Amino acid sequence: MNNKLNNGFNTWQKSFEKETKKNFSDSKSETDEGIDIKPVYTKDDLENFSFVESNSLPGQWPYTRGPKASMYTNRPWTIRQYAGFSTAEESNEFYKKNLESGQKGLSVAFDLPTHRGYDSDDDLVMGDVGKAGVAIDTVEDMKILFNNIPLDQMSVSMTMNGAVLPVLASFIVAGEEQGVDRSLLSGTIQNDILKEFMVRNTYIYPPEPSMKIVADIIEFTSKEMPKFNSISISGYHMQEAGADNVLELAYTLADGMEYVRAAISKGLDVDDFAPRLSFFFAIGTDFFMEIAKLRAARTLWAKIMKDFGAKNERSLILRTHCQTSGVSLTEKDPYNNIIRTSYEALSAILGGTQSLHTNSFDEAIALPTDESARIARNTQLILQNETGVTKTVDPLAGSYFVENLTEELSKKAWDIITEIEELGGMTKAVKAGIPKLKIEESATKKQAKVDSGSRVVVGVNKYKNPKEPLVDVRVIDNNRVRDDQIKKIQAIKESRDTKAVDKALTNLTNAAKDETNLLIPCIEAIKLRATVGEVSKALEQVYGRHFAKSLSVSGVYGKHFEGDKEFMKVESKIKEFENVNGRRPRVLVVKMGQDGHDRGAKIVATSFADMGFDVDMGPLFQSPKDVAKDAIENDVHAIGVSTLAAGHKTLVPELMKGLKEIDPKSKIIVFVGGIIPEQDYEFLYENNVSAIFGPGSNIIESAEKVIDLISDNLSKE
Amino acid sequence: MELVDKIIKGERAAIAKAITLVESSKDSDQQISRQMISELIKKPGKSIRVGFSGPPGVGKSTFIESFGSYLVSQNYKLGILAIDPSSQITGGSILGDKTRMVEISKNPNTFIRSTPSRGTLGGISMGTREASIILDAAGYDFIFIETVGVGQSEIVASNLVDIFTLIVGPGSGDELQGIKKGITEYADIFIVNKNDGELKMEASKTAADYKSALSYYKKLDELEKQVLLVSAIEQTGMEDVIKTINQIIDQNKLKGIFDERRADQLEYWIEEEVKHIIASDITKRLISKGNIPKYSKKVMKNEMSMYEAVETITNDTLKQ
Ligand code: B12
Ligand SMILES: Nc1nc2c(ncn2[C@@H]2O[C@H](COP(=O)(O)OP(=O)(O)O)[C@@H](O)[C@H]2O)c(=O)[nH]1
Repeated sequence: MNNKLNNGFNTWQKSFEKETKKNFSDSKSETDEGIDIKPVYTKDDLENFSFVESNSLPGQWPYTRGPKASMYTNRPWTIRQYAGFSTAEESNEFYKKNLESGQKGLSVAFDLPTHRGYDSDDDLVMGDVGKAGVAIDTVEDMKILFNNIPLDQMSVSMTMNGAVLPVLASFIVAGEEQGVDRSLLSGTIQNDILKEFMVRNTYIYPPEPSMKIVADIIEFTSKEMPKFNSISISGYHMQEAGADNVLELAYTLADGMEYVRAAISKGLDVDDFAPRLSFFFAIGTDFFMEIAKLRAARTLWAKIMKDFGAKNERSLILRTHCQTSGVSLTEKDPYNNIIRTSYEALSAILGGTQSLHTNSFDEAIALPTDESARIARNTQLILQNETGVTKTVDPLAGSYFVENLTEELSKKAWDIITEIEELGGMTKAVKAGIPKLKIEESATKKQAKVDSGSRVVVGVNKYKNPKEPLVDVRVIDNNRVRDDQIKKIQAIKESRDTKAVDKALTNLTNAAKDETNLLIPCIEAIKLRATVGEVSKALEQVYGRHFAKSLSVSGVYGKHFEGDKEFMKVESKIKEFENVNGRRPRVLVVKMGQDGHDRGAKIVATSFADMGFDVDMGPLFQSPKDVAKDAIENDVHAIGVSTLAAGHKTLVPELMKGLKEIDPKSKIIVFVGGIIPEQDYEFLYENNVSAIFGPGSNIIESAEKVIDLISDNLSKE
Repeated sequence: MELVDKIIKGERAAIAKAITLVESSKDSDQQISRQMISELIKKPGKSIRVGFSGPPGVGKSTFIESFGSYLVSQNYKLGILAIDPSSQITGGSILGDKTRMVEISKNPNTFIRSTPSRGTLGGISMGTREASIILDAAGYDFIFIETVGVGQSEIVASNLVDIFTLIVGPGSGDELQGIKKGITEYADIFIVNKNDGELKMEASKTAADYKSALSYYKKLDELEKQVLLVSAIEQTGMEDVIKTINQIIDQNKLKGIFDERRADQLEYWIEEEVKHIIASDITKRLISKGNIPKYSKKVMKNEMSMYEAVETITNDTLKQ
């Protein structure tokens, strides 16, 4: 520091300390990532960087400032809203309306049965058809989905990982039958299986064959679909599951490295496929951190790809889609969410994203309505058209703070990446369950901060709205959708050449036994009108279905509440309960149907255990009948159903029936947590649900209510 | 007793309630439980109790799921008692066993119960012993007792079962030096898992290593220890496992070893229970007299040595 500046700083520091009555050195605030944020940054903070190059330019090495030289000054980011629900017909209508209103690209949300490779007529998916996305059973559905949407002009992103083979095949065949050659299709397939095992939970096969499928798709698209992104390497879901930004950044890039290796092992040259790798990040409420994350991601990826020997400049460049954070949005006082989403969107733009989804304000209630979707889209239209943010490339470059944060994030992420590489790469780490556990630990810490009030969430733990508004919700009648889908499946099965389909499916099964690229026989089967479920089963015969064993963190929540009065009150209630009843209160926490949102269930389980409950943790994807059997065999006092994918109105009554079938006198009480629109409360209570805990529920308060309800119930005996 | 009739009829909810009773720390529950057990032992079933242990990562869970599926496909009824030691400082626990037995837990011919061990393995295992009496009376052909991890819990578990199985992985032959005489006394069968794909060679070699090492430790009058190769993932070798279990049981019954073992175990449990009762009684007395804080203060002030304090407290506690 030169003398003049030094003097200046000393004077500043004195004033600061006088104003705040605190030492400057004690005035840092720690982020979730463990980064100390100082109250002020200076030119000095731009020194000794090992990743960020302060004088670099946009579109130039190391691409910190953006993948392109001109960025939004030439063309703004793509407004790409993620959507899909009910049948292909209804989703198609919705897409067309959105495109007329200013949306630029499509992004398809499939329903959970499709994700998990089940047809709509499968018993296992009774409550899930069309509920959390659009149901696609055959190529006919896919064709309806893009009816009057010319696939040679519209770029289409598809979030599909588990059933990626039949779904991509259906897209290709739908294009062909629309008269569009596959080489002209543009868009992205998510095809990122590693994060499914970590957080998203729509896997089908075990890790190794799943990785082979990923590589097959990279190979096929690199050869035949030059305008199509073969993969969207996603950190988004990690942050939504609870990861802090360093974990999100490090695990995503480490996943990317694993996919590069998988593709190389197929005999491809890095530069053959690397330009078509794309990324996907979440943008949460920590404004500057999110900006720094996108800049750091580009910086690190360039370095990583250079180390892989990439020669084509386009191989070095990280292009990304972003979505504002859904988990930052609240059920309580929901209009606040419009404001949150706006800040997050701005953050994504200042970070230099290539495309963006902005969430609707009813995010924590149900799928968006036409109205809430319009506001979400307008958030971006206003940014693009009214604020002037598109006029300057990377306007925060040179900010002492943002540049320093970019470097700090890079460093921290690099350490984790190095660690994972030393352990043998991400596939190995994922199989051992380490990243998942780390993310759950981070999620549990965040919950503890909100529950204790040390992190403020407006409208939830502070500044509550005394007059909560009742908002309209999109209602999907899954039974109707299911019936429609079943009719369509039946009609197709009657009209297709069954022998040819069987032969194509046998070919596919055989192909899975050797090294054949599976997309090729898949396209054949789909062309002949094999269903998504049939194709998935044909592969399952060889690969089997993957069941995840669940590990749990423990003590993380409790540690945050050492000495806390409310926490200790629940603890002592539990001790008293044990004295009276001869055992601890025992609760079975379950996920039913295809709903893979396990963040809430895992957090509740570990926190309840920390308070002294004995918690039985069910596996994912249980049927209500299986849950009833587990509950009765373990003689639990209560079942806590965590349900987020809108299956509750089908699954909860089934569970009640299941309990009575095994034990007509069953005294087990049932409570429900997760995404439940207020409009459904009465229905659940009528079905004997004892209590409902919606998003934002304080876990300690919930636990107290649970123990009280259990005690009441026992005293009725 | 109505409950007893229901158990014998195999009613799921009754079995579950009965297990809760035997595990309960409430005196009134214990009384009912004792009465129930004494009625149940008069109507014994034919179940074979099998213990499984093995270091983490060898595929024990996968094996139990796979072998269990095989058994139910052969129309056996299977009960599983999983002792979960994952209890915490706070005392509550997360019981994740169901996530490891997804397929078999659905089957109507299984009954799967996990028990939080709450740190005290001794007490809880008493409950496990009685739980196996309940499942036996309820007509389960096999009762698996699964302990997670190795060491102390292994010894306890081996005292609960008719046949004890150690699962190991390929390449674990190197650990053979570590295998002391002790372990061979507990385990009747050694299962080398992961005998598939690229691991096949390694698995066979490990099995051979175990065989030779075990014959070295074999006592004269003892049965040959069995070493089996399986793949839990490919579900191969399962017939061998069940055949071997049945063979050993038959032989043991013939030679009287089966009953001898159950008698030894009974002695063990009586001793454990008596020790447990005496210890908790004495602990109660110790605490109520308040000697420990009193004398430790004296030791702190150098008024007496620690040994003197220990002796004084012991004498005072034991005196009637
Ligand atoms: C995080 C999240 C994800 C993550 C999930 C990560 C994970 N491993 O859990 C990711 C990004 C992977 C994801 C994916 C999808 N998601 Co999502 N997701 C969310 C989001 C943003 C937050 C959920 C969350 O974890 N909150 C934090 C936890 C701690 O809160 P919680 O679960 O609500 O639990 C609290 C209470 O509800 C209660 N509670 C909950 N359970 C229990 C149980 C007991 C016993 C008790 C006492 C209390 C209790 O206490 C908890 C603490 O306060 C919600 C919207 C929202 N803001 O809620 C959408 C949401 C649930 N997702 C949705 C959808 C559609 C999907 C997808 C199906 C999209 C698609 N078509 O591909 C996928 C598929 C996922 C799958 N496999 O099922 C929809 C569901 C629509 C509906 N219900 O009508 C929602 C509502 C968003 C929306 N409005 O569109 N999602
Ligand atoms: N190759 C192979 N792997 C197996 C087999 N059984 C289990 N595994 C793998 O070994 C790992 C540990 O299995 P798990 O059952 O969780 O082990 P546990 O800790 O002993 O219960 C997992 O990755 C399994 O997929 C098997 O028979 N063959």
